[in-house]
Amino acid sequence: MNKQLIDYILNAVNDIKVTHKRERRIRVDVEADSLTTLLESLKGQASFLHLSAITCVDWIEENQFELIYHVWSYEEKCLVSVHTRINRDRAKFVSVYDLYKPADFFERDIYEMFGVFFIGSPRMEKFILTEWFGMPPMRKDFDSEAYVQETFNWTEYNPDWLQELTDQGGGIAIKPEDIRMAGQLHNMSTHRERESAKKDQVVGKGWKS
Amino acid sequence: MRPENYQAVQLGDSNEYEIFIGPNHPGIEGNYALKLLLDGDTVVKGTTDAGYLHRGFEKLMEGRLWIQNLAIVPRICVPDPAPMEVAYSLAVEEIMGIEAPIRAQWIRVLQLELSRIAAHLFTFGGHAATTGMYTPMYWGVADRDLVLDLFEDFTGGRVYSIYNIPGGVRRELPEGFLEKLSNLLDYLESRQDDYDNLLFTNQIFVQRAKGVGILSKEDALEYSVTGPNLRACGLDFDVRRDDPYLIYDQLEFDVPTQEHGDAWSRILVRRDELFQSIRILRQVITKLPSISGPIRTPIPNPLSWNVPAGEAYVRVESSKGELAYFVVSDGGDKPYRVHVRGPSMMHAVQTLEYLVTGARIEDVAQIMFSLDACPPEVDR
Repeated sequence: MNKQLIDYILNAVNDIKVTHKRERRIRVDVEADSLTTLLESLKGQASFLHLSAITCVDWIEENQFELIYHVWSYEEKCLVSVHTRINRDRAKFVSVYDLYKPADFFERDIYEMFGVFFIGSPRMEKFILTEWFGMPPMRKDFDSEAYVQETFNWTEYNPDWLQELTDQGGGIAIKPEDIRMAGQLHNMSTHRERESAKKDQVVGKGWKS
Repeated sequence: MRPENYQAVQLGDSNEYEIFIGPNHPGIEGNYALKLLLDGDTVVKGTTDAGYLHRGFEKLMEGRLWIQNLAIVPRICVPDPAPMEVAYSLAVEEIMGIEAPIRAQWIRVLQLELSRIAAHLFTFGGHAATTGMYTPMYWGVADRDLVLDLFEDFTGGRVYSIYNIPGGVRRELPEGFLEKLSNLLDYLESRQDDYDNLLFTNQIFVQRAKGVGILSKEDALEYSVTGPNLRACGLDFDVRRDDPYLIYDQLEFDVPTQEHGDAWSRILVRRDELFQSIRILRQVITKLPSISGPIRTPIPNPLSWNVPAGEAYVRVESSKGELAYFVVSDGGDKPYRVHVRGPSMMHAVQTLEYLVTGARIEDVAQIMFSLDACPPEVDR
């Protein structure tokens, strides 16, 4: 790894925070405006040709989306993760498709799962969830459990053969509500407490991009 | 898209017509569809259609304890589940700031390489079947079953082992396991000539596979192709060697490459890789008995286990290419976000669409299988 070259490229950007996490891993925090410029100089000057992934993280409490671009250089043998944050209410960002072709897939995935629109990305359309019209499901304010409770009717499963077994003294030994983990899990949830505070929100329906 | 929602497209005065390949067809291990626009038997345009295996794993993981997720991760790729467990465990370990004991790392390598052998045997068979040769498929699946027997022996599960845990592996290898493994490797090596005669140098197969689905080195880099598909284009890169994890830097192995980037080169790279995996396993067999010590670094009570806030991006080399996990913790008892970057995300969507353009329809299934894509990695 040519540390000098990479440091030179990174330090040319304003308001940058560089963390050397371990060997061959660099974390970079930049403002949203300078992200494309940084990726462009990384690709052009230090041959960061391989876009490993684009990740989106929903920080609902800070009202932000974090976008993370993981790029790898075959020559420098180094992976740089570029972190940036955008406002959650205006979930729009510029596409990096002109720099990295695989961005097509990742940006489409993020658009579908988080609702972040990428300006300039060639295929901002549905891919995996073609028959889903609700809120993007990976957002933290989408509660899958509440959606299931609201959408599906639970039915008692008690067929004749099970009834016969129960009459003979057999049947289901441990009821779902008696499972040790189930109770514990319910008490331990951290996200659920926040989510229950927003119970008045309609889940999964009426969301428009 | 559900078949009942699909409307056939009327294309007016043109010789072109549109057909739907899949979601069930011989070209892929799982459910995955491809919409093809054809002119005669030449593909004008291919559009992938995924989502048949979407189970929302990333969302599910956010609602479960760190330890419970170990039961979910291997299900993301059925033919090669071991790298999933290891990558997730490595990511959690990196956030925790702990490292698995050295013996556990050797056992993990053993599990990874066995899984690679199983996955490659499955792929040979499947690839041959797309050209109409069914015997290699029976042989491949039968030999893979012997590997699965070993998995059952030392992990308890044939396909999904759930053998890893952040901090190490769950249990010690059983008595006499290394001899059994050694016998299996002898057997697999003795099959080399049979496989070569039946498949790799068989003119019926070679003539079908040569020159099909050619991917140049530049295009491979452009589309972020990794793993055997990248090495088949002549680019010498392997995460195990160039970004080493576990104890891969202490092992001796070659990174096989080919030059032409077609379906034939890709299967040859996998064939060579299988024998490199055998070579690695032989080193594990020699070295493992001399490494004593624990197999687990203690972790807190998994039911009330808060992983400190932080994030980790961990890459491993699965049989299909670069597999990465991005795990974020907010200091809670569950992951805040887990992003799975499967190699097939790149191979099965954009690369596939690029390669089928201009191909003949009888080669489409072969092109798909030669990329060794795993649809559940795309859908998650």
